[in-house]
Amino acid sequence: MDMAPRWSDGYGVQSRIEYFNSESTTWLEGVYTFDKSVRVTFKLPHSNGDFGGLILGLPLKKYRNDGAKTSNWSITPSLQLPSGNDADWDAGLSLSYSAESPKIYQLYDLYRWEDRTGLDINVGLAFPGKGSGMFALWDISALTSDKGDRIQTGPVFVYFNKNMMLRAEYKALVYEHKSDWSGGQFSVGVGFVY
Amino acid sequence: MRTTIFALFVALTSTLVAAQDYVINVNGMVCEFCSIGVAKKVGGLPFIDREKYDNGVIVDIENQIVTIAVKEDASMEKSALFSAIESGGYNPVAIWKLMPNGERIAQP
Repeated sequence: MDMAPRWSDGYGVQSRIEYFNSESTTWLEGVYTFDKSVRVTFKLPHSNGDFGGLILGLPLKKYRNDGAKTSNWSITPSLQLPSGNDADWDAGLSLSYSAESPKIYQLYDLYRWEDRTGLDINVGLAFPGKGSGMFALWDISALTSDKGDRIQTGPVFVYFNKNMMLRAEYKALVYEHKSDWSGGQFSVGVGFVY
Repeated sequence: MRTTIFALFVALTSTLVAAQDYVINVNGMVCEFCSIGVAKKVGGLPFIDREKYDNGVIVDIENQIVTIAVKEDASMEKSALFSAIESGGYNPVAIWKLMPNGERIAQP
């Protein structure tokens, strides 16, 4: 599940809608996999009738495959281009680790973007089937920035059937300090890999 | 006598060119969504019999096993097969010939 597709010359596209702080943003995202160690991604937000800055990423992964377990360390530099209604260049870096067995999935992602430093954790269960399956995860997200700090947490559900994946998640705000955030955050998306 | 010899010849050559299944143990293959690429890459090999199984391939993530069907008039090429699985994102570690009685014979 982590950054599909995993196969050489594979690619995927995804559309995701986020609702938070009384606003909604639609994201168009895509990935091309040169091989499992090197991918390139793009993310384009659309909110309030305008496109935001295009974000390009270069996930570099080191995999380890041991019998009934696969894991990887990943470092992802990202760059936002001045485009749409955002005239700024921005950059970020993410360091993550994920591990997966037939029944358990876990992801830990530490990132820095603009003035924000965050940690995302997804841990949960996998329910494989024949040609389809699902994941039931729990997310904890912590963020600190010049604009305040917050911690959110909530469930994540993932369903896939052949080459299609659906993801829905809700994060409740459980802690905030000097930020203008209030309420929960809901996200739902659908993607396809080829 | 000629009939007997001919029947023996047909039976022998039929066995030699019969379609053959192989089983490959693949490390790390635990997610069916992520394993789509293995079936895709292996199914594209020229010696795979796509009339059998699901485009010639069965991916078993519970046991980390890939089963393939090889065409009657073709030979399995291990290096091409292992390269295809690695291109799919995983590590093949061993291969067995699958006999009709279910017995597996390890291949070098």
